[in-house]
Amino acid sequence: MKRIDTDILILGAGGAGLFAALHAHKADPALKITIAVKGLLGKSGCTRMVQGGYNVALAKGDSAVRHFMDTIEGGKWLNDQDLAWLLVHEAQVRIRELENELGCFFDRNPDGTVHQKAFAGQTFDRTVHKGDLTGIEIVNRLAEQVWARGIARLEEHRALALVKTPDGSALSGVLMLDMRAGNFVFVRAKAVLLATGGGPTMYKYHTPSGDKACDGMAMALRAGLPLRDMEMVQFHPTGLLAGPDTRMTGTVLEEGLRGAGGWLVDRDGKRFMAEYDPKAERATRDVVSRAIFDTIAKGRGTDLGGVYLEMRHLGPENVRRQFKGMVERCADCGFDLAGDRVEVVPTAHYMMGGLPFAPDCTTALPGLFAAGEDTGGVHGANRLGGNGVANSTVFGGLAGASMAKYVGAGAALRAADETAIAQAIAQAEAPFGRKPTDLEAIREKLFETMWNDVGIVRDASCLKRAEASLEELDASLDAAGVADGDRAFNLTWADWLNLKNLVAVSKTIRAAAVARDDSRGAHFRADHPEAGDLAASRYTLATLVDGRAQVTSAPVAFTRVRPGQTLLEAEAAE
Amino acid sequence: MAEFTLPANSKVHDGKKWPSPEGAKRTKNFKIYRWDPDTGANPRVDTYTLDLDKTAPMVLDALIKIKNETDSTLTFRRSCREGVCGSCAMNIDGTNTLACTKPISECEGDVKIYPLPHMPVVKDLVPDLTQAYAQLRSIEPWLKSETPPPDRERLQSPEERAKLDGMWECILCFSCTTSCPSYWWNGDRYLGPAVLLQAYRWIADSRDEATGERLDNLEDPFRLYRCHTIMNCTKTCPKGLNPAKAIAEIKKLMVARK
Repeated sequence: MKRIDTDILILGAGGAGLFAALHAHKADPALKITIAVKGLLGKSGCTRMVQGGYNVALAKGDSAVRHFMDTIEGGKWLNDQDLAWLLVHEAQVRIRELENELGCFFDRNPDGTVHQKAFAGQTFDRTVHKGDLTGIEIVNRLAEQVWARGIARLEEHRALALVKTPDGSALSGVLMLDMRAGNFVFVRAKAVLLATGGGPTMYKYHTPSGDKACDGMAMALRAGLPLRDMEMVQFHPTGLLAGPDTRMTGTVLEEGLRGAGGWLVDRDGKRFMAEYDPKAERATRDVVSRAIFDTIAKGRGTDLGGVYLEMRHLGPENVRRQFKGMVERCADCGFDLAGDRVEVVPTAHYMMGGLPFAPDCTTALPGLFAAGEDTGGVHGANRLGGNGVANSTVFGGLAGASMAKYVGAGAALRAADETAIAQAIAQAEAPFGRKPTDLEAIREKLFETMWNDVGIVRDASCLKRAEASLEELDASLDAAGVADGDRAFNLTWADWLNLKNLVAVSKTIRAAAVARDDSRGAHFRADHPEAGDLAASRYTLATLVDGRAQVTSAPVAFTRVRPGQTLLEAEAAE
Repeated sequence: MAEFTLPANSKVHDGKKWPSPEGAKRTKNFKIYRWDPDTGANPRVDTYTLDLDKTAPMVLDALIKIKNETDSTLTFRRSCREGVCGSCAMNIDGTNTLACTKPISECEGDVKIYPLPHMPVVKDLVPDLTQAYAQLRSIEPWLKSETPPPDRERLQSPEERAKLDGMWECILCFSCTTSCPSYWWNGDRYLGPAVLLQAYRWIADSRDEATGERLDNLEDPFRLYRCHTIMNCTKTCPKGLNPAKAIAEIKKLMVARK
């Protein structure tokens, strides 16, 4: 087996991973930095798919504190407030870095300042953007900078397991699979960043890219680490409904469409959002998704099982200009967003939950750092649109600097638990010893289980049903085989590995949803529809012990502001 | 010494014909290039027949269906499935495009699928893009400015920003570059349309102060001037961009500064 030693290993090449590489390199150009990614660098992951944009308080009248309060209110008071505080302040630094140093050129106002558009759930128009496909600009610019530096790349390498030292006290490195060759590689590093991005692709309708499979979270669970807020899966209200089976179904139509004044209408063309929330279409994602779900359940949905998104009252020409990318995406599927109505359905979009981490991006396991969607705590129970890419770039950058400091302070390469490596290899190779099986049947069943029983609206009985289904799916995977012909670039093997991770993480989502017997943000229990006492808020922590999810909880620390209070008045008084 | 024979692996043979689905009323054949570096065998074209009534609309949907249901060994690259990452660029029905946004219904007769032309192949439909990325690196695609930036964003007008429209949307799928006969011929020294489009993106950026240096770097009989306005690039771009125009703009600037 090939073995590589490096100072810093970064898993993932989205906004978090790329920024971490750049900041670590900036802190100490002599460091040996290696970035590993499941696809090609710059082409993989979800930052590239960002449409709407980047939340940051820049304009006169807005402030980081206002952004903070919106984030906490949107997160239904479950956020780690120190992390959210860091997010809103560091975003102001990061956006200038993106523009002035990395060369992003965001859309402008007539006075030359960056243009900021309206997004839902925010009290100020603060979303910086490039047209309606902001991620292309951000990831292209970041990738170019990484290519330009002596940063080693392991492309088309997937991480299989976090391998600790023999005594289990710290991380030694990561077992990887070189997908192109079909060989295992062990990469030992003084510091490892978990930045693979979550991605709830276990749901029938989902937005993340096809290579997302919650790898980071699954590896953390197998390393015995807890994940917080796992019940909090965000459903974006407006996923494109392009017909059954097509991969295009579930791809997201951006939030700015609602921000700009788009309407959601039922099968008879009647608007319905005002029946659910005074902010109507501009309510937060959780509220709008649930309203759509309820409207469909009441028999007011379309034949395909969605509702309509209607923009034409804003003027087709205007829509075409302002939302070129979205209009073209719909046109790819034969729909006219500017002049007609488009069918949409809520689609699983983002995981607010993940690995708990400190403001310096350290985790409970020495040597392991985390940033981006693999982490939990920043967004609480609901992420505001535009806070996602802010999160990955802010904490990716902080993690890079923090890892460089950690290595600079004398962190050493540590010996690996060789037995654990052998076990992880045996686990990954297990399907080759068995008769090839139809993995897609398992995936379809996982889609249905999670969508129907651990979806937008949950209750004790459907969550109970899901427990048995997930155990059954895990058992089917443990019995499923993959043809052992050519292991190089074997997509079917990758499918099996992905499904194993998705089922492991799904178990924690389900168990955390059982444990939370109230309704907050993205998590809605039909049998417990009340939010409960905000002042007594607790967050969940899920672990996986012998394949079974166990959940505990801990009180939220209101370190900056308590429910019922706001920091805005204090700020105004200053 | 001149080479008088075709290089290894350039002869493509007919491969396996997989059975048609039973009871299908509307079928379509997918003829797909297959090559496995480990066997040493020449490439082949395998034929798969799909029931269109059970196949979702895009070519990527068909590839995934074949891999899932018929032949688990089929290999291709894909990520976002919505036309923003460029991973699934390949030659479909004679044109380089993205499998995720190419409707099967647009392909007449059998759907012939090959990897991007004239690139080394990793396996099946997966091209090796190492050289294309190295060429991108060579144009130094980043902001160069001597003037220290203000402690806020540089103030730029919407018109200045609009100059980048038609370029920033490039997803680096290299469909254009690999459709260009000039690139097929001189791909080792000609930068090709995708990279030249990026080069012009930085030249057109009102904040960038290195236009002279950038033009110097392109002033070369091969890097820029192997573009003979064949226009395949513009015709093939799956995002509807116009690399040929960007190249023409660079050539104009070259003349203007003389």
